Amino acid sequence: MTDLIIFIVLLSLGYGFGRYAEKNHYKSIIQREKELNSIPAIASRIPPVGRPDLTNQLVAGNVVISVDYFKQFIAGLKNLLGGRVTSYESLLDRARREAILRMKEEAKNLNAEFVFNVKLETSSIHKGRGNGIGSVEVLAYGTAFYPV
Amino acid sequence: MEYTNPELPEGINTSDTHPLKEFFLLTIGVLAFIFIAVTLLIIIVDNFADKIPFEMEKNLPVESFITGKSAETLPPYLDKVSQKVIKSFELPENMHITVHYLNEDMVNAFATLGGHIALYRGLLDKLKYEDELAMVIAHEVAHIKYRHPILSTSHGIVVGLALSIFSSASGNAVINQLMGTTGMASLMRFSRDFEYQADKDAVKSLIKLYGHAEGGIGLFNVFKSEFGKESRFEFLATHPLTENRISQTTKIINANSLSSGNVMTELPGEFKLWLKKQKDKTEN
Repeated sequence: MTDLIIFIVLLSLGYGFGRYAEKNHYKSIIQREKELNSIPAIASRIPPVGRPDLTNQLVAGNVVISVDYFKQFIAGLKNLLGGRVTSYESLLDRARREAILRMKEEAKNLNAEFVFNVKLETSSIHKGRGNGIGSVEVLAYGTAFYPV
Repeated sequence: MEYTNPELPEGINTSDTHPLKEFFLLTIGVLAFIFIAVTLLIIIVDNFADKIPFEMEKNLPVESFITGKSAETLPPYLDKVSQKVIKSFELPENMHITVHYLNEDMVNAFATLGGHIALYRGLLDKLKYEDELAMVIAHEVAHIKYRHPILSTSHGIVVGLALSIFSSASGNAVINQLMGTTGMASLMRFSRDFEYQADKDAVKSLIKLYGHAEGGIGLFNVFKSEFGKESRFEFLATHPLTENRISQTTKIINANSLSSGNVMTELPGEFKLWLKKQKDKTEN
């Protein structure tokens, strides 16, 4: 019985705090994306030609987001049945966008016009109990071009 | 060349489904599946387990586990009451029952494989009447009569095996625990049914021996005062709530149109003295 109560408390805490954090994070992401939209992140490897006025530098943004108990529980059940793990989709969406934003913020400090050759790397950095994913890391990096 | 990033619409990489909806659908679905699977498994097992001959049970080395250092020879009075109760069941000839007495404080008694019954001093100490003692013994004899020990063992093995297969598939500790609890809850339902069945036969035996079933109610009242307030949640318990056991016994009493307030036979002073000596023995 005690186990069940602990489980319900953890689940509720995970849901409550997880939802609150996610809502706030999305709000902040959407706002900052608008602000930094003036610095485009381009996936192309070929840098712009005919711009001798620009020099370049590596910029990177890194983020680690922890999975909450609720998301992990839903993902665990999905593991048995298959299908879209929607609880992790929003988590990774946030992590990717946050990493790009942090990279763009670095580019903004350089006064960059754009970031080229943008790449993303994802890894789970902490294995939770029973080897479940504990937190996820996303690294975004690219070449920022800024006036000499 | 002009470079721009378009403003992408929200919701491309995420789902609109409310997480709680997904949670309830998934949880109820998986738990219902486990519950049904375990129940079906137990029903199948029951069809095989009771075909295991009682002789095979007797060959298991169970006795050595029961007769540890606290086991003592049965005093003549306890042996007399036990034999009287066993006789009232008119068991098949090959179903031989051995009653053991354990000099320990635990307030409990149990029946196990091979027709062995163990009574703890802790429980005997709490009893005042022979009727209550007979109820304890009769309850355990009824377990043996219906082959509950072999059925429970088979349930435990098969359900445990099935759950470990499920668990290794999920690989998630929390899910494993939840599946384990659900499996246990489905298993416990059968365990509680066994208890009700044993109570029912025990009460019938009491009626046969004493002409009334006060001993049944008396024993459950002993439980009530001994174990205090129980949790209201029966679903994870091996035994039914004492209240429910009392109400089943009352129903049997009413069905047999027996009068209430019958006088129970007190336990002889000699036996009480013997129990006291046994207790002193453990304290020294």
